[in-house]
Amino acid sequence: MIDLDDHLPAIVAGDATAFGRFVAGAETRLRQSLGSFAGVVDVEAVVQECLLRIWQVAPEVVPDGRPNALLRLSIRVARNLAIGETRRRRIDPAIVRRLEREAEGAVEPEIPDPRLREIIARCRDRLPDKPAAALAARLEGPWRADADLADELGMRPNTFLQNFTRARKLLAACLGAHGIDVAQELA
Amino acid sequence: MTADEHRDLVEATASAFRSVAPDGSIREAPAWHDLDEAGRIEAAALALELRKLEAALDPDGISTTARLVLARIRGEGRGG
Repeated sequence: MIDLDDHLPAIVAGDATAFGRFVAGAETRLRQSLGSFAGVVDVEAVVQECLLRIWQVAPEVVPDGRPNALLRLSIRVARNLAIGETRRRRIDPAIVRRLEREAEGAVEPEIPDPRLREIIARCRDRLPDKPAAALAARLEGPWRADADLADELGMRPNTFLQNFTRARKLLAACLGAHGIDVAQELA
Repeated sequence: MTADEHRDLVEATASAFRSVAPDGSIREAPAWHDLDEAGRIEAAALALELRKLEAALDPDGISTTARLVLARIRGEGRGG
């Protein structure tokens, strides 16, 4: 089993690159753990808020002898943030209790398959210009709003989104042609 | 809402970009507020797929979410 706590000493020392390696292994499980809350909280916002808090509290984490203490803490923090958000939104407590029960508990990290990486890169190279440009814009400028990315590419915001959708679907079709089921591999 | 409008809202919500409130908290995507519960679940599933795809495309295996968080950490440091 991969133990993301291997990165903990460097994270505690303030190494953001090590924190990036932790996030690379933790993000999918963290996101999946919030699946039951997806209809009532913005999962993306909760994941980002959670990771920022984990960076702040990492120096206080004491490993308990079991692997992936930092990932387990992240899942707890994310769930508490999601519950706090449901309270703020005055969601029926009975619904929140049900969502809590349904929240996924798996804590094993997940690392991308190197074969998948190679095939996706090849599929990306075959995208038409405009979908490729929309995909590249989001990949290279995630700190900018879609409207700004669209403006830079000379596209209207909805044209940008349509090109991004097209890129995503073409990638899925290309992966499918290589025997990779996007729904299984990426969901 | 037309099917195209719904698709664009889902696609916009699935982006990692989120603005930051004056208190430093992460704001929900504006498009997320315009979706119903089913649309929000659809957007979260798409975001999961996209983040994994982004990580697979990145030499360091990190998604756009991770890049955003790391940029913020590097900008602010710890305790900032």
